[in-house]
Amino acid sequence: MKSGRLLAVILGLATVALIAVGTIWPVSTAVAYAGGQGLFSSSSTPEQAVKNLGDEFRLREWSKAYENLANKNQFSEADFEHDLTGYYPSLRTFSTLESFGVFPLHASADSADVRLDMHWSTVVGTSNTTRNLHLVKTGDAWKVEWPLFKEPEVPPQVISEDYLRWDVIFRGPGDDWATQNVDSPHITIVDMHPVQRAEGVVVLGEILNQDVVPAYVSVSATLLAKDQSAIATESCFDKISHLLLPKQVTPFLIEFPNQQLSDVSAIRMSPFSSLVSAAAGPVIAINDEHLNPAPDASLTGQVVNESGKVLSVAHVLGTLYDKSGQVVWVVDKYIDRALLPKTPAPFNIPIPEDLARKISSQRTVVASFSFGGSV
Amino acid sequence: MWKLALISTLLLPLAAYAADAPSVYVDPSVPQTPRPMESQTRTAVVRDYLQSWKALQTAFEQNRTDLLNADFVGGALKTLDKTIRAQSALGITTRYDDLSHRLQIVYYSPEGLSIELIDRVSYTVQVFDHGRPVARRQEHARYIVVMTPSQVRWRTRIFEANPA
Amino acid sequence: MRLHLALITGASLLFGALPGAFAQSGSLSVPGTVEAGAGFSIQTTGSGSAALYIVGPSQVFKQEVRLGGPVMLPAGSITHAGHYLVAVVTPSSKQTASLDVLPAAEPASISFLAEPSRLPVDLRDAITGAAYIFDSYANLITRPLPVSFKLSAPSGAPQVQTVTTRNGAAWVRMNSTPQRGEDTFIAQAGSISVSRSVHQVAGDPCQLTMSAHPSGPQLELETNPVRDCSGNPVPDGTIVTFTESYDGGLSSADVPLKRGIAKAYLPAHPGGVLSVASGVVLGNQIHWEK
Repeated sequence: MKSGRLLAVILGLATVALIAVGTIWPVSTAVAYAGGQGLFSSSSTPEQAVKNLGDEFRLREWSKAYENLANKNQFSEADFEHDLTGYYPSLRTFSTLESFGVFPLHASADSADVRLDMHWSTVVGTSNTTRNLHLVKTGDAWKVEWPLFKEPEVPPQVISEDYLRWDVIFRGPGDDWATQNVDSPHITIVDMHPVQRAEGVVVLGEILNQDVVPAYVSVSATLLAKDQSAIATESCFDKISHLLLPKQVTPFLIEFPNQQLSDVSAIRMSPFSSLVSAAAGPVIAINDEHLNPAPDASLTGQVVNESGKVLSVAHVLGTLYDKSGQVVWVVDKYIDRALLPKTPAPFNIPIPEDLARKISSQRTVVASFSFGGSV
Repeated sequence: MWKLALISTLLLPLAAYAADAPSVYVDPSVPQTPRPMESQTRTAVVRDYLQSWKALQTAFEQNRTDLLNADFVGGALKTLDKTIRAQSALGITTRYDDLSHRLQIVYYSPEGLSIELIDRVSYTVQVFDHGRPVARRQEHARYIVVMTPSQVRWRTRIFEANPA
Repeated sequence: MRLHLALITGASLLFGALPGAFAQSGSLSVPGTVEAGAGFSIQTTGSGSAALYIVGPSQVFKQEVRLGGPVMLPAGSITHAGHYLVAVVTPSSKQTASLDVLPAAEPASISFLAEPSRLPVDLRDAITGAAYIFDSYANLITRPLPVSFKLSAPSGAPQVQTVTTRNGAAWVRMNSTPQRGEDTFIAQAGSISVSRSVHQVAGDPCQLTMSAHPSGPQLELETNPVRDCSGNPVPDGTIVTFTESYDGGLSSADVPLKRGIAKAYLPAHPGGVLSVASGVVLGNQIHWEK
């Protein structure tokens, strides 16, 4: 009886002590997920101020982040939030800040420049953005002057659209032999070749929709050994435009990690197509496409949404060719902001440095998607 | 002398039961069909057809129509299904033991959706009425078979014995 | 003693292993072949009642019969073509025979596979038709039958071929015509016919040409009405790619045909080279000097 009471008292005291320790000396992760700055992180240095801002972004504490800005009187909290989450539904709207990097650039007694690299986790992978931040010292604390990106306003107008639309009626369920049906779209691989990379074997190429109807396409490849046994089978998920309108061409890139081209005697390609409902619009123009040489080789340009509809997601695919017209590589990038009508949106897609000197020309295509239905 | 007779008579039934798998001969000649046939297709269709015989045997012996679905489709499935239901209603089971197949692929349709083959098959058929054996006979039949492709295999769509 | 036992054991095993050991053919008279659905009779000998079995994978039949005379099976008793075991069984005897049931003479249905359902105009041997002929009991009719295949296009004379079936199957190849439209493809055997639709569409664009006009700071690019080499209009929705190359840069747009024409606006760059393409077909080039 006495020993039981003693044990209860000891456990109670230990609990109180541990709570006190956790409160007074919390680990940084706990602080971040418990509310960021809390009581014990002060913006006493420019780096710490930017770090606190990054933590607030990660926790989606827009009000708190806005309150700590030095130039909050220049724009509203709503504008600040939309700058980070998108003014219209887009990839950014449904993304979270997974991590960030803080890089001091310059500092003096009362002003500093810091670069904030943000890595957003989206449904299609990581999206990276960078902001160069200017900070000013106010009393003992440093505050960020946020460089707001204000979405351009599209002038009110009426835009009529009459894009052709296809719908499909398939035959009914049940045994389907010898009854009329609609054929799958005819597609063809117009270019294919494998390359060896450090990570493994990569199969590149292009697919053409030869048909007069839209096609949902995908392609897989099987590497065959000299004895015709299958080494590996992979399919192309991302570096392809899955919806092809009639006579449209998409690149594809299929990766086989940790495989050696010297082990491969043949490759069996399996393109797949099926009929889908689709619309022939919107038209997206691509302007000022440039191949920028190494160092920092990249494909840059601007996409312009020629329709009157806001496009939530745009996927830019660049096919890179050598002098003989053979596909050297395929690059892609998702624009994480919505494409507004008639408003150019820039893109910058890095190109592997070792391939940059082989590239002679390129062809860029854009696939788009609107939340609430594909376009 | 009597020892020799005893050994012979004992070995005969053993020999009858020793060969479980039927003997299969596939005519190697290339048929005059509108569509060229790859060797993998040829191998697959023969393999799947012989598999359908196994399914048929088990289904008729156990009066289980569900055992037909993987290997038969369309008219053949309907007919075999109906026969099994009818024999089950009569209290009958039948046992088909295929002894040999002589297969000849005769037609591959131009769009690739059907393959026709002729099977000269020898088999024994035993009929059981409420578990009691009532008949047994060795038969030789010439089957016209049409196989059509499904997602993972060729299935038998027409299965009809027809003398030449 | 031992010898007798061995011989008896061996003999019983021997007869047990032989096929048809329980059957005694010869006193059961069965027609060699019967047409599906037709009535027929089986002659029996002996006396008393027996069970008649007609068994095959296609059909099963059982009936109590009186021995010593003909057993009549009315029309419609055995309808599925196939090879059957016929057995007449009494408590003391079993008699077996074989019976072949043949398909009925007249075709009643056709399974017709016509491919493809959609194809470009003016292709040789691009349309295939394959037919299987069945009787009214869904038996494959394997005796040679003439099957007529007829492909009718919206314009021009129909293509007709008559083929004799082999093992119940017949096939043809036909050409697609130069005119686009909906063709009707009919397979006919006797008085039975089945029809399919084959949609002929325009081929690849031919002689793709565009013109360019200034429109403010941009260029308006527009194709002529796009047609294939047979003169058929290429369907709306077909993508045409306009490209402008200038000073190491490029602008492009994928534009769908609308009412046979594609139109796009690209920034005007003096000295730029404008080109147009659709799929793998290249059109003309324009050097823009203004």
